[in-house]
Amino acid sequence: MKKQTLRAALYIVLAVVGIITVLPFVWMILSSFKTNEEISALHQTLLPQNFTLENYTSLQSNFNFLQYFGNSVMIAVIVTVLVVYISCLCGFVLSKYEFKGKNLIFGFVMMTMMIPWSVTIISRYTMFMKSGLLDSYLSLVLPVMVSGFGIFMMKQDISSMPDELLEAARIDGANEFRIFHQIVLPMSKNSISAIAIFQFLWVWEDYLWPYLMIDSDKKQLLAVGLTMFNGRYSTDYGGLFAATVISIVPVIIVYTIFQKRFVAGVAAGSVKG
Amino acid sequence: MFRKTMAMLVIISVIALTCACGKSETTAYKGETDTNPDKGLPVMGENVTYDPNHLINDGKTVELEWWLWDAPDLFGSIAEEFEKIHPNVTIHVVNNPWDGFWTKLPLALQKGTDGPTLFNVHNSYQHLLLTYMAPYDIDVKDLETDFFTAKSHEIDGKNYYVDFGIMTGAMYYNKEMWKAAGLTEEDIPATWEEFREVAKKLTVEEDGKLVQAGFNYNGDFENLMQGVPYQYGNTIFDESGKVPSLTQEGQLKAAQMFLDMYEKDHVGDKDFGTDAAQSFGQGQSAMVYKWGHFYGYMNTNYPQIEYGTFEVPAATKDPFAYDRYNGEATPGINKNAAPEQIEAAQDFIRFYLANTEKQKELCMNYSLFPANNTLREDTELQDNPAIQAVSAHIDNYIWPGPMPATLADNLKIACQDMMYNDTPIEKALKTAEDIVKVDLSNQEFVSSENLYHRYSEHK
Repeated sequence: MKKQTLRAALYIVLAVVGIITVLPFVWMILSSFKTNEEISALHQTLLPQNFTLENYTSLQSNFNFLQYFGNSVMIAVIVTVLVVYISCLCGFVLSKYEFKGKNLIFGFVMMTMMIPWSVTIISRYTMFMKSGLLDSYLSLVLPVMVSGFGIFMMKQDISSMPDELLEAARIDGANEFRIFHQIVLPMSKNSISAIAIFQFLWVWEDYLWPYLMIDSDKKQLLAVGLTMFNGRYSTDYGGLFAATVISIVPVIIVYTIFQKRFVAGVAAGSVKG
Repeated sequence: MFRKTMAMLVIISVIALTCACGKSETTAYKGETDTNPDKGLPVMGENVTYDPNHLINDGKTVELEWWLWDAPDLFGSIAEEFEKIHPNVTIHVVNNPWDGFWTKLPLALQKGTDGPTLFNVHNSYQHLLLTYMAPYDIDVKDLETDFFTAKSHEIDGKNYYVDFGIMTGAMYYNKEMWKAAGLTEEDIPATWEEFREVAKKLTVEEDGKLVQAGFNYNGDFENLMQGVPYQYGNTIFDESGKVPSLTQEGQLKAAQMFLDMYEKDHVGDKDFGTDAAQSFGQGQSAMVYKWGHFYGYMNTNYPQIEYGTFEVPAATKDPFAYDRYNGEATPGINKNAAPEQIEAAQDFIRFYLANTEKQKELCMNYSLFPANNTLREDTELQDNPAIQAVSAHIDNYIWPGPMPATLADNLKIACQDMMYNDTPIEKALKTAEDIVKVDLSNQEFVSSENLYHRYSEHK
């Protein structure tokens, strides 16, 4: 009886916390169907009193929303796939091969995680400017395609795989390429899912670097476009909410695809087996 | 399933990477060679004139970028008008978010010919941009004759930008509440004493609780404190223009007056919300002090509220200055651009400055009092309530120069201390003054107060 009461209390607490967490998100979605006047009104209501789709229909007139959205999806997918593959490859090498300087290399990879992004931004900008890569998508892909975090996660995960399994594959005649692609990768699904979600989110919401690199309107990303709603003196909240609601869709899709393995992946990456 | 998903993502990304990476070949319009110098068009402008009947870059095509942070359609229409006259010139308008503009622009200006040739300027970022700017190829005397604030932007006998319009503070009042309080147009206050009486009439309390503020300055106290002390004859900076003084009679009297409005008159309350603008829009405050951009804010967020404006009341019959103002600037020219780009940009700036119609559109859009003397009496501009309120004494507004962030920030802290922590006025302002003095001693800031035409009258 006491156990049931505790469980019920726990569920109630979790439900309240869940509602508190989700409520601002729900409020934003519902407010995207309100006029700016209603959003800023003294008496707030959760449901729109004067339902309007204008915030959505006028998105394209504010900036090239669909183009920015497409650009963001493309860059996020490219970077995520590259980061996942390179992280797996590096993690495999650093965890399953013995060679001189292995720990030094891993230490160096770890060091890259310790340096704040903003510290290197000016020098990185100069590098890309002198390389003639400004206003190209390569400037968005190159600096993030090798992820210290991803390599760390995958090294930890692959370390837990039994060496005997890989040895057995070698005895059966599998070369290293095949071992990596047919044994290591499928066994790392959980960690790959975790990295994919993190990386996609980071690229999707990154603002400053794409803004600094991309000049052409046609190449700009959605995170930059969303800031256009913040004017110098006022903000078009209705438009901002509508654009944000749509911009969240790909993130939800990615999370839905990988969510089953996400928690297990984070746990696997954080401990060495 | 997992393998299929991964395979699909890899295929998509490879295809996308192939398509996306590298600089794409754009087929943007690049203009056409111009062979006709005689456009058959009249010369524009009064003193700063623009004669369209000539060729730019010998008629050969030239492209430039113009970076801005707002109103791309409006600014773009100026570029389009210019392109019609000079079809060999193509101006690509690039709109940026305000938040990142001042980070990206100085970096982009280092790119030389690949960077923007024209860029919109805000005077508070002059220190960031000046090293990249080319002076206008226009006689400064002509600029001063046409634009009444041009002299304040003169640097070593050259202008790198001028104001196309100026913005300042005014009082905004809710017409419905005004009427309900039995007030008429005759009751528009000219002095602070009159203002306080009107504010009392506009205040509504129910069961001892404030439900309608007669005057709400929550969030604007520091803005009032940057302008109203001028009315007492004090300047913020000393004769050298470098040393701030925030504890003079004007500052002390102004601060006391505003605090008294809440504490003695009870026309508002420090706990009546933190944002006077929102409170006004929500119909909870009858009067607020706001700058010209409030007109746009109200149109966007609260179009149903009917309001009027009047000039900020004065402490004396003929105050030293009514308030401070700030300008909205014309574009700067990148001195590192290619010679043909600079030639086109200089020509465009002359066209911009001689084009009163476009300046009028800009002033209407931002609710600015026009800096161009030709537009002073324009009836359409005068219909704008934000412009109307300041028109009568616009020459008696002062520009202290690009206000250093430290001054605004520390004055804000002082005002919050006075309002919420009951810190004595003199102590709060002295603390702010001391910090600002230290901060400014490391900067090259020099105030422009001495350019004010009545500067010699200050105490």
